[in-house]
This record gives sequence, structure tokens and C-alpha cells, in this order.
Amino acid sequence: MRHPTEGVLRRLLDEPSGVAVSDRQHVHDCPACRTDLDGMHQDAALVRACLAGEAAEDLDVAAAWRRLPATAPVTGRTAKARARRPAGLLKRPSVAALAVVLVLGGAGTAAANDWLQIFRTEQIAPVSITTANLIALPDLSAYGELALTADPDVRAVPDAATAEAETGLDVPQVSDLPSGIAGEPVYSVGSKVSGTFTFSAERAARAAAEAGQALPPVPAGLDGSSVRLDAGPGVAQIWTSSTGAPALVVGRAVAPTAFSSGVPFDMVRDYLLSLPGLPDRIAEQLRTFTADGSTLPLPVPADQVTTSSTQVDGVPATLLVTRDRTLAAVVWVDDGVLTVVAGSLDDSEVLSVARDLQ
Amino acid sequence: MAISGPGHCVARADLDEVFRQNYRLVVGVAARVLGSRDEAEDVAQEVFLAFGRTSVPAGQARGWLSLAAAHTALNARRSGRRRASREVVAAGVHDAVGGDVADAVVTLEERSRVRAALASLPRKQAVALVLRHSGLSYNEVAAALDMSAGSVGTTVRRAESALRKELNRHASSH
Repeated sequence: MRHPTEGVLRRLLDEPSGVAVSDRQHVHDCPACRTDLDGMHQDAALVRACLAGEAAEDLDVAAAWRRLPATAPVTGRTAKARARRPAGLLKRPSVAALAVVLVLGGAGTAAANDWLQIFRTEQIAPVSITTANLIALPDLSAYGELALTADPDVRAVPDAATAEAETGLDVPQVSDLPSGIAGEPVYSVGSKVSGTFTFSAERAARAAAEAGQALPPVPAGLDGSSVRLDAGPGVAQIWTSSTGAPALVVGRAVAPTAFSSGVPFDMVRDYLLSLPGLPDRIAEQLRTFTADGSTLPLPVPADQVTTSSTQVDGVPATLLVTRDRTLAAVVWVDDGVLTVVAGSLDDSEVLSVARDLQ
Repeated sequence: MAISGPGHCVARADLDEVFRQNYRLVVGVAARVLGSRDEAEDVAQEVFLAFGRTSVPAGQARGWLSLAAAHTALNARRSGRRRASREVVAAGVHDAVGGDVADAVVTLEERSRVRAALASLPRKQAVALVLRHSGLSYNEVAAALDMSAGSVGTTVRRAESALRKELNRHASSH
């Protein structure tokens, strides 16, 4: 009889009931497997001991709960709120890029070979998507396969020169830091991230049936075809407040670009729009996108963020401010490079930093 | 998701209950990565704030929070935004989960070395290992990482084997 795999043996250590009786019996009777199992047991015990932390029983959960800013009454822009606030995910352009992969993934089209560029980011236009929609987006797996073909590999580097060398991007220099922010930033770089969505008509039909709806007729050539989206590399400079929370982030990345094998972008977009479950309001906004795909659908949680148009050095930019006005960001794309300035600041402060970048 | 506010106005009604049920777990996950409970509690704050802005069903909160804690803690290690003053591994620590601790006596240096190696493992391996050692079942780890329960054992084993090799490599060079 064949020996059980390493994975089965490892599970046997933790959850014998999760292992088939025949495998358990085999291990019981097989000296070689038992030797392997002993080795695994020792490794597991060693790692468990190395990773063990202080006992959790005496954690003061009630005090921790009171610390959580979300439980505090809304009192405007208090010093405490400012100090504890997470700076969102803007510090990592690759994360924003991933969200775009998911949005575009729903538009899955085109053949796997012979990629043509169908989408190049020249402008940023906000699309209002609620948080709930964002969370639902990964469910695009109901319509096909979404695969990240390259991980962003975000890591810290010691200085701007290294960041420039590793990303090939000009690292923007901040000439005047806003009041309350001082010191040197931490430099973080991310390599190029790439994702591919492959549309499956069969899967989409199943998902639609489960939702009690019929799948719109699939255009010829769409089934089994893919869209690839590349983003990055990118670099972020992060200034932290005294509590360790990010206070100012200046990020720059090669803007996302999508490729397909020649199916017109209109078809991609229109089929995405016709998929069951896409809210009408978002569908209407998506329809405003230009047929040449020159606008980036940046997903923004509309229930938390207001957006407006502005300019940075003559380039159209989008200003985003959280509704409680504790976080602001400005984003623009110039010549295929996306730059973002975000922080625990107000809108005039982020704009001032953005416009003074060297 | 691209941008998120701090969530003062949008805290979910069930956040209190989810927090009380899962706080120790979340701190435990982060502490395994970071080696500092204070720092792990900071990560937990960040994770629950993020959770408060989501509409993840309460029934999936345990997996979501554990996964977020592992990623946030690993990111903190990698990005170098940890505070030097927190680089402390408490002496005389013991494991709240129990298990095989009595079988293995390890030095502070070994702890530190394993945590450093953990941060450089492929992300999926590191997360699977930390979640499993934090008490999540194979099915829970599988659901959190979108993998089959059958491959959780393989992934955890690879991670443990790599960490063991790292310790052996260092031991043999001294």
C-alpha cells in the first residue's frame, strides 16, 4: 500500500479524526511512516514552543475594547483619534492595484495569448462602490478563475536611492512636511503585481442559477478568455506618528494596465454590466467610462469617502476625504505613473504636499 | 479596497460581541509573529477597526480576523515599522494553547531566529502555520486561505520543516 502523504501525516498529529481510517491503519502498521511522524512531531513541537507567546488569559479585553476608536463617540478630530487612526491601505499601491484587478476581473474576456493592451490608465475617476460591494468583489470567482500570477513582494528598503534602483521610479521628495510630522520616512517598495481573470460561462451560469437569475447570453469568444492586469512596481514613503501609526504616505507606482487578446473593451465592460448582482447605481457609473478604457475605475467606499476633482501641477487629480474628515488623499496619474499623497491630514495639507513634491 | 476611514460612524452593531469573543485569538495570532504582546495588541486594534468597516458575516469573523491579524503582523515585521523598544521577547513565557510545549525547551535566541525565518517564508506557508498554531482547525485554516483542508497539512509541514532547517543551519555553523 502506498504511504500517506506528508500532509496527511501532519494532520494525523493534530486531527486524527480528519484522516481516513485506512491511512491511520497504515501508519499504525508502517515503521517508516511512524519514524516520519516522530520527526514531524518534534519539528511541530519545536516550532510551537518558539512561537508561543505570553499567556493570553490575563489580557484586559474590556480595556482593549475601550481603546478601540470605533467605539468612541463622534467628537470630531480629536488628538486621540488622529493618533490611532490607520492610514488605510493607501500606503501600499499594490493593494489598490489588487482591488482594480478584482474590479476588472469581472470584465473577463479575450484569449490567453496574443495580449493587446486594451486599458491604459491616464485618468483617475472615482466609482462609488460601497464597502459591502468591495467585499463581495472577490466573489467574482463565481464567474471564473482569478489568479495572481505575480505577488507584489512588498518590502522595506533603507533609503530613496535603493528604492529608485529597485523600482526604476523617481521617488518624489517632500520639501515641507506638514506641521506635526517630522523625521525621516520609511521606504517601502513593491515589485510588479500581475493578475489574470479567466471567464467561465459555465460557472457564471451556475452562479446566476443559484441567485435565481438567468445569465445574460455570453458573447461569442468570451467563454474561457482572460484579462490580464499588471500594476507596479511601486514605492511608498511612510512617516509614522509617535504611536507608530502612519501619518503621511507618499506613494508612486506604475499605473495598472490591462491586456486582452483583442476583444473590444466595450464588450468587456458591457458584459460586466449585464452580470446579475451588479447594483444599478454602479452600473450607471461604469457606463460613463470611455470606450477606449482610458479611465481607471478606482473603487472607493462611498459611504465613508467623498471625492472631488482638483489639479496637481496642471494634471487632473482626484481628492478623497473621509466623511469624518480625519483622512485625506489626493491621487493622480501622469504619463502612466500613479502618485498618491495621503495622511492623517486635511485636504489643504495633502494638496500642499502634493503640489510641492520635487 | 483602496481607501478607508477610521470608522467612527460605521461601527457594526455586533462589533462588541465579536471583539469580546475573538480578542484573545487575534492577539495570540499576532503575538506568534511578533513576539511581543504589546505590539500584538496594537495589531489587534488595527484588525478590529478594519473589521468594523466590513460586512463580513459574524459567523465568518473568526477566520477573517485571524487571517487579517497574521497578515498585518507579518507586514509589520517586513515593513520595519516596529518600534525598537518593543523588540522584547518575554522570558518565562508559556503557551496558552497548550500542546507540545513540554516536549521542547527553546532559547530566546531560537525564538527570535524562528520568528525572523517565519517572516521570510512564502506568505501562505507562514499564515497557515501561524493560524494552525493559534488553534484554528484544518478546516478553518483551509477556509481562511481558500485552500483544501488536505493541503493545509502539507503547507504547515513545509513551513515547520523550513523553520527546523533554519535552526539546524544556525546550530551547525556554531
